[in-house]
Amino acid sequence: MKMTPKYIRAQENMKPGKITADGFLGNDDRNIVDIIAADEEEFEYLGLDFVEVAKLMRKLVKEGLKGLGEPIRYDKWEIRVDEARGFLPCPFQDGIFRKRVTTVKNLNNGEEIIYSELSIHLLAAHHFLQGKGARFRLEPALIKSVLYE
Amino acid sequence: MEIILAPIVVSVISSVLALIIVVVDGVVNNYGEVEIDINDSKRNLKVKGGTPLLQTLSSQGIFVPSACGGRGSCGACKVKVLSDVGPYLPTELPYMSKEELKENIRLACQIKLKKDIKIYLPEELFNIRKFKGIVESLKDVTYDIKELRIRLVEPNEANFKAGQYVQLVIPPYENIKESTQRAYSISSSPSDKNHIELLIRLVPGGIATTYVHKYMKEGDVVEVVGPFGDFYMRDTNADMIMVAGGSGMAPIKSIIFDMWERGITNRNVWYFFGARSKRDLYYLEIFQELEKKWPNFHFIPALSDPLPEDDWTGEIGLITNVLDKYLQNIIPAENPKEGYLCGSPGMINACVQVFDKHGVKDVYYDKFA
Amino acid sequence: MMYPDINPFVLFFASIFTSNILLTNFLGMCSFISISKDIKSSNGLGIAVTLVTTITTALNWLLEKYVIIPLELGYLRYIIYIIVIAAVVQVLEMVIDRVSPNLYMVLGIFLPLITVNCAILGVALFMQLRNYSFIQSVFFGLGSGIGWWLAIVLLAAIRKKTENAPVPAPLKGVGITLITIGIMAMAFIGFAGMINVR
Repeated sequence: MKMTPKYIRAQENMKPGKITADGFLGNDDRNIVDIIAADEEEFEYLGLDFVEVAKLMRKLVKEGLKGLGEPIRYDKWEIRVDEARGFLPCPFQDGIFRKRVTTVKNLNNGEEIIYSELSIHLLAAHHFLQGKGARFRLEPALIKSVLYE
Repeated sequence: MEIILAPIVVSVISSVLALIIVVVDGVVNNYGEVEIDINDSKRNLKVKGGTPLLQTLSSQGIFVPSACGGRGSCGACKVKVLSDVGPYLPTELPYMSKEELKENIRLACQIKLKKDIKIYLPEELFNIRKFKGIVESLKDVTYDIKELRIRLVEPNEANFKAGQYVQLVIPPYENIKESTQRAYSISSSPSDKNHIELLIRLVPGGIATTYVHKYMKEGDVVEVVGPFGDFYMRDTNADMIMVAGGSGMAPIKSIIFDMWERGITNRNVWYFFGARSKRDLYYLEIFQELEKKWPNFHFIPALSDPLPEDDWTGEIGLITNVLDKYLQNIIPAENPKEGYLCGSPGMINACVQVFDKHGVKDVYYDKFA
Repeated sequence: MMYPDINPFVLFFASIFTSNILLTNFLGMCSFISISKDIKSSNGLGIAVTLVTTITTALNWLLEKYVIIPLELGYLRYIIYIIVIAAVVQVLEMVIDRVSPNLYMVLGIFLPLITVNCAILGVALFMQLRNYSFIQSVFFGLGSGIGWWLAIVLLAAIRKKTENAPVPAPLKGVGITLITIGIMAMAFIGFAGMINVR
């Protein structure tokens, strides 16, 4: 995959201060095309499917909303959904998303992931899990242990 | 001779071409003067072209609502355009409904003014001003909410309806290179014309709230634009059932105290303040004081997850459950009722469902989420 | 010095089909492969390349005849041609941004990259090598540009049609595109040799 204009623009938008204060790249100095390629490989190695993972993440948000900001217990997870006013645009300029942040904790192994509506979209539509060191980076291995163990 | 000839020839050719480029740049990027016709020539502005409509209008003192300061991430700056401004940009499409596309509603921050334009703006917009003020006080009311009190300097008076919001201008700081704006409801009452008070909850990673909580100081000069919004008390005699938690209390507090100050006390007002535990509660005393003075006003704080050390004796449970209980057993069913909500879309949806169950059809909420 | 005895119209036809700069001479590949994903942008880029090729070939012919040859500055040829191409692309970029910001955004970095599109320098050098007259140069430049435009639009159309075809995983993306281009080139080879362009 090449750094086409679409990815160059998206990477610009991911810098701190453009859409969020900290940006989506953390302290990763790879370009996003390399980040995506590496994570796609990880996903394949771990046997994860982007579409299925996104579906499960969305389902957990739906359950979590019932708590109105409080943690709720669903199946083997504890889920909390927090929301703030306003919208965040996707850095790829293909949609806007509510500022809704979900924390999912697997009660079997105690591991936890945190993601926003935008994170789900970036994962499903762009296979982008954010740069290493970013607050909302989703490590494939952590996704596997929280969602599938 | 040859040694000088080569550089000279190359320089001359380059200079001629560079000159051509400069001339073309002057022609192509000079959009000249552009005329903005507002509301069928009700107002006519002659401006320099080339900048987006939103910024151009604000430089002329007309403020179209924007919750993101013109970056294209909030969709609030929708304007009805009556002339041709080119096809929709990919940055506008995610915000437009089918009806809006038919009506040629555009995002003012995305359309560059290249030629004369005819637009329609609602009348209320002309009332909006940009205010310069000073941070009079910046206090913690809970562990994550600050009360920001601004003394207006220029203009030094604001006229707004209780329940409306303003846009706080956040200047560049740290990594944030561009100025931005965020919307916050006014928590002070309209009678205090020289001040604007806001309740701002820290959102981790949020551009504006981080600035307010970590960088803003008392004495700072600050700008707000407003007032905006159509969340305010409706002039009826119905019971007002108000639900808000956290920083959502702002417009509700403004409306309640405005009613008290203006003597509109014959209506029944119920304010359900939902929070998780005691540390999320604030302003309890002022509402409890008001309850004593105003018989028709009822203040019901509810904790959904009180800690043992909170020693909480008030209502316990999710605010929607408490609301349901009161609508079922305590608030007279035969009275007409209006709902007033301020909070996250999740909470609003849940409350609307409860209202619906009890036949409360007129529900108003702060829509800028 | 004698210009080659070729009718400009024949040259025009030849540079589009039988001596297509992209499919016969394989010049101008990188944006060809990247932008041919979308027909509309291929069209836009094709027009841009045609404009640049025609204008720069004409300008470079004038500079060749009135500056480079008389002043014996043959060793400056490449730098002069490239400066001209860069300037023309710069102007074109500004005009496109004004006239169609949508196209400007879609082409992105490939618009300024026309500067180093080897097809354009190639056309100018062929013009100089084959010693074409002014009219021949203009027709050659225009034809080559149109040939490039034709090739990219054709490829875009083929890629659109085969979008949902079951391509084996290792060949997905650039792999199958290059194979497609190769097959297109083979089809055009049938034309080569039909007309002499020297």
